[in-house]
Amino acid sequence: MSDPVPLTTDDPGQVASATPPARGRSRRLGDRGLAVAFVSPALLLLLAMSVFPLLWALYLSFTDYSATRGGPANFVGFGNYTAILTSAQVHTRALTTLVYVVGAVSLQTVLGFAIAYLISRRTHGRGLLTTLFLVPMMLSPVVVGLFWRFMLDAQFGVINSMLGSVGLGQVEWLTRQRTALVSLIVVDTWQWTPFIMLIALAGLTAVPRYLYEAASIDRASEWFRFRTITLPLVWPLLLIAVLFRAIEAFRLFDLVYILTSGGPGVSTETLSFHVYKVAFLGFNTGTASAYGILMVLVVVVLTQLYLRYLNKLKEG
Amino acid sequence: MRHPKLTGRLSVPGRKARLATAAMLLVATTLAACGDSQDDDAQASAPKAPATIPELTKDPLTLSFIWFDWPPAHALEEFANAEYKKERPNATIKVNTVPNANWHDAMFTQFAARKTDFDIAVLDSQHIGEAVTNGNILDLTDFVKNNIDVNAYNPYLLAAYGQFPQAETGKRDENASLYGLPLLGDTWTMIYRKDLIGDKPPQTWDEMISVAGKCQAENPGVSGLAFHQANGSDAAAVTYNTVNGVYGGNLWDPKTRKIDGVLNDAAGQEAMDVLVNKMKPLTAKGSGNWFIDEVNAAVAQGKACIAFNWIAASGGLLDPKQSTLGTTREQILDKLGFATLPSQKTNLVPLGGMGMHVSAYSPAANQAEALNFMKWFERPDIQKKWAAAGGVPARTDALESPEFLNAGPFNRVYADSVPRMRDMWNVPEYARLVDIENTNVNAALNGAKKPKEALDDIAREQQSVLDSSGRKGGGGL
Repeated sequence: MSDPVPLTTDDPGQVASATPPARGRSRRLGDRGLAVAFVSPALLLLLAMSVFPLLWALYLSFTDYSATRGGPANFVGFGNYTAILTSAQVHTRALTTLVYVVGAVSLQTVLGFAIAYLISRRTHGRGLLTTLFLVPMMLSPVVVGLFWRFMLDAQFGVINSMLGSVGLGQVEWLTRQRTALVSLIVVDTWQWTPFIMLIALAGLTAVPRYLYEAASIDRASEWFRFRTITLPLVWPLLLIAVLFRAIEAFRLFDLVYILTSGGPGVSTETLSFHVYKVAFLGFNTGTASAYGILMVLVVVVLTQLYLRYLNKLKEG
Repeated sequence: MRHPKLTGRLSVPGRKARLATAAMLLVATTLAACGDSQDDDAQASAPKAPATIPELTKDPLTLSFIWFDWPPAHALEEFANAEYKKERPNATIKVNTVPNANWHDAMFTQFAARKTDFDIAVLDSQHIGEAVTNGNILDLTDFVKNNIDVNAYNPYLLAAYGQFPQAETGKRDENASLYGLPLLGDTWTMIYRKDLIGDKPPQTWDEMISVAGKCQAENPGVSGLAFHQANGSDAAAVTYNTVNGVYGGNLWDPKTRKIDGVLNDAAGQEAMDVLVNKMKPLTAKGSGNWFIDEVNAAVAQGKACIAFNWIAASGGLLDPKQSTLGTTREQILDKLGFATLPSQKTNLVPLGGMGMHVSAYSPAANQAEALNFMKWFERPDIQKKWAAAGGVPARTDALESPEFLNAGPFNRVYADSVPRMRDMWNVPEYARLVDIENTNVNAALNGAKKPKEALDDIAREQQSVLDSSGRKGGGGL
């Protein structure tokens, strides 16, 4: 402890000598300590909530552990991985998921970009239109699912009622193999097209105006301007939006759960929904962990390939 | 300058060393945590409840149930708080409800965590095996011996809602352990439109199909039949099991644990053919995802000639506010009739309903209160009151009482159905088995699979689940 300092003094030098400045080393440690104090809670949270469960899941994926049975987690090597990769059921679900992801994301990209392009060309009411288009994205997927379940009900739904009023027959939206998957794609598109639209709109408004002015001086056609100015400049941003949507669509669960329960049969059962069944109906925790790890790997590998393509595009 | 100095401190080897240390710490923590899970192995079978009720607390206490969201759950909370509080003023009953599709998961994920926010789990009869083998619920055998008159029940009901391993139909094993006591009995009732098909309900399944076909043809906009076909819960599976039973089929051979070759034998195939090719065409378009509520809605809106539903869920049909069939209960009853299911080669009906089971992870004071509640609830006078309040009792004296038989037009149907009931497989693999059956029957009903293909797939996949129940790795796909 330092000596007590008098409250008033006539000799400033005396004060200075009584309260020596902190040594450089301790001040540096203080800065570091502060940095650690700020970062460590977030880091600990990340470790506890993300890294640790991932490592644990990785460990469990090599065992026959069941969360509900308890008991020892016996090592089974790559047994779970082999079973998943060779399972015809998993292949069917993977194909369903692929069709869903490609269908939904393609539709959302085309529609989202088209809407953004049309909005960007408006000078009045752009903000209001953008806000209105964003509403579906703000809703919970559970609410969206329940809302569309009523809309698409073959007997009591609004959609069939409208079709009936124009003389068209009833469509079994959620209970036929083909229409059920199409219905899922349509509902997901209704909810998430605004996301693509928002990103595309940001890209479109960032295109320098002078490029269009120069094109218009050269009397370039509308199509030429779109093809050579708009699309190339917005494309990288659009691809990032597609990446986000594809990852989201790949792990689709909630809409399937509420709209079709994976049916009819298992025709709309996505990989995520199947993992849920493996994990919670049979409580085969080891198998479900391996399943989850494989899904993460697929997403990581595809994302890396995609990002490389994006980087190439950027360099080009 | 400070910055280069700091960078210098965190030289590459140093950073690597730190990362390696962190990774080792994480792996060590992971292994330690896994080691903990292995310690949980002690729970290999259900812990025993005390033979006599321990001293009850005088402090305020909330006794929590978990059930799925349907009218009997709300009726139970209201009834128990009104009646049980007379004896135990410090106890409050709370019935937590979850959607039917989440019911199994909501209970068993908590069991998996070895910590429950409920004291009494209302388990489906087929859930008992999974809960017992995992040590999730108390063994009530000694408690029942000391506190419950087992002879007051139809032995099959007591066995279905409490016994494990499963009893064969109608033969309760008196030496077997009991893990639950009946809360609510249930079975399917046939609901028919008296104004459309006449007062006399069809007596055979074939006659019922014929009557429904005629009714549909004569009444445009009204479908001949309405029944459960949905993919979730046990909806489509119970429908197939019912037709399978009526046409003389078996779900499995419990002694040999054989499903393949039993379920898909000639009787099973005939049942699937009847269901898909004769009954399905008489249902409303797009009804392939109907369950309890949708069938009730179709009846209440006058859109079905004949329907099948669980009795415990049928009370709302007599509510004029929910029906277009009349403005009073009497007007509705002029149009709606309730009857036991038609028979064909056999007269089997599906067993529904549930028992009460005490969570092994509930605090001791709550477990004691739960046992006291169960003893109270099974008393003859309380069972009669429960019947009058809309419940479906399991005690024979309550079933035959005027309080029950006069409480609803379908209660006689239940009393008459009790000797005809058949349950499903009460095994730990139930959740997987029922999912396989549900998805495949739903696929057949909605044209995604041919009936024979669906039936063979059910038999093969279910057999695989049973056979692989002790296998290491890759199980459950």
